[in-house]
Amino acid sequence: MRVARQPLWTAAFLAPSVALIGVFVLVPIGLTLWLSLHEWSTATPFGEASWVGLDNFKALFEGAIVGRDFRQSWRNTFVYAGLSIALILPLSVVLGIIIQRSAIRGRTVLRTVLFATYTIPMIAVAIVWSKLYSPSEGPINEALGWFGIAPQPWLSDTSTALVSLVFLNVWQQLGYFTVLVVAGLTQIPPSVFEAAALDGARTLKLHAYVTIPLLRRTLLFCVVIALINAIQVFEPVVAITQGGPVGSTNVLTYHIRQVGIERSQGGLASAMAVMLLLSLMVVVTLVFALARRAENR
Amino acid sequence: MTAGRLVSRTSLYAFALLVCVVTAFPVLWMVATSLKTPSEALQSPPVWIPGSPTLEAYGQVGEVIDVGRSFLNSALIATLTTAGILVTSLLAGYVFAKYRFRGRDALFALLIATMFLPPIVTLIPLFRIVGQLGIDGSLAGVIVPNLANAFGIFLMRQFIAGVPDELIEAARLDGASELRIVFSIVAPVVLPALAALALFAFVYHWNSYLWPLTVLQGNEDHAPIVLSLARLLTYTGSAQNTPIVMAGATLAVLPPLLLFVVLQRFFVNTMARTGLSG
Repeated sequence: MRVARQPLWTAAFLAPSVALIGVFVLVPIGLTLWLSLHEWSTATPFGEASWVGLDNFKALFEGAIVGRDFRQSWRNTFVYAGLSIALILPLSVVLGIIIQRSAIRGRTVLRTVLFATYTIPMIAVAIVWSKLYSPSEGPINEALGWFGIAPQPWLSDTSTALVSLVFLNVWQQLGYFTVLVVAGLTQIPPSVFEAAALDGARTLKLHAYVTIPLLRRTLLFCVVIALINAIQVFEPVVAITQGGPVGSTNVLTYHIRQVGIERSQGGLASAMAVMLLLSLMVVVTLVFALARRAENR
Repeated sequence: MTAGRLVSRTSLYAFALLVCVVTAFPVLWMVATSLKTPSEALQSPPVWIPGSPTLEAYGQVGEVIDVGRSFLNSALIATLTTAGILVTSLLAGYVFAKYRFRGRDALFALLIATMFLPPIVTLIPLFRIVGQLGIDGSLAGVIVPNLANAFGIFLMRQFIAGVPDELIEAARLDGASELRIVFSIVAPVVLPALAALALFAFVYHWNSYLWPLTVLQGNEDHAPIVLSLARLLTYTGSAQNTPIVMAGATLAVLPPLLLFVVLQRFFVNTMARTGLSG
């Protein structure tokens, strides 16, 4: 490619994106790191921040209420993410295989219905599910009753509230991941399946030993995206549970916003955000390391 | 067909049907409940199908929130943000796909890394920055920070890389400026990708909640429908008002859902492509 008029155009074409992402994403990342070492009220200019070293981080690890609340929301977030992935991954693989490889009729209807939920605003999902979960007038407990299952407290009990939120997350996201799995499946040459079938591999074995190993890259991508999506859970918490009952659905996006925006403790909330970012990087690195080990075996 | 295969085929259909029913049910329940009378909404065991469907609840939504205003705000936020993303992504995607310059790959990697950043990590300083720019509490505050994003740049680079260099060279020999080349040579070739990006961005920003909630600070005049919906829920807490909430939810869900139903092939194909190249 010729390079004549390039430098000027390069600068001109990149300027809008680089300026916007710079000012509204990269600079804020730097500020979050910087603020985490300061005491700062979100209602004041950045210049008002006063240096406190690692005090904010110490507070997060200590026994006082600040640390306990943070650690609970950290735990809730990663439990929520882990459960979401544990449900989404196998279901999306099974549904992806049904949509892409099986001969049943109405496969595209299945795909359309599944994926449609992904376009529904999360706040609407949260509101509708809060009514579905209603212990007395809710249809879920009614339907469970048909099978002789006792009514569940769902969002109103500390032991079931977080799992209830996981279910609505899985409901909303499953179609998206199924489409990703379908895309991964289309990359596997059909000859692989034909060869395996000639060897007499039965369907289940075929998928366990041939399809899933060949989907490894897609599945790795799915885990990372599902994790990052799960960490962003916010609407059901802010609109329905407010973190309760007794903090059992207090998750990081909600908690950090409560501390940093509603209570204006910008420095402390920034330290929490830094811990979230570090945790995320550690988990993603672990996931990649595990995937590489599986590949080498 | 052997008996074993018949059983496995039947169970496959049963499973697929079950998934469809479970997936569609909450949406159907939402619409059904929006048509119920207050007393039907209170009944236990629940009423599955409204006895005498009524649109009354839809009228009552307007008594609590300004539906027209909320829709206009949502439409402005989603449309203007999408337009911005299309232009910035097209320009940057073209540069990353077709130009060579020092530090290109490093800059691209830096921008792409932001794609994986949970928004809460930057929310607090961003809120303050927007405040110091004097655009908090306004639609501009909701829109401006989102006018460029890594996903759009990434998507455009992927698709523009497939545009033949000869086409661009020929236009240059004809004396076309680079700006003209981007908008009248490259853009038409990658139109399907642009359309898909437009759909993604529109749906994403119609649905987005955390940032508008934070930056608008309770300014109801500028609230998009998703924020008004949460307010509707707060103001109509008791179960007999559930039809009103469901009517509001149905209205809020319609635009992105209809857009998807009409243009789903675009959506699914592009989604699949981004998944693969990720």
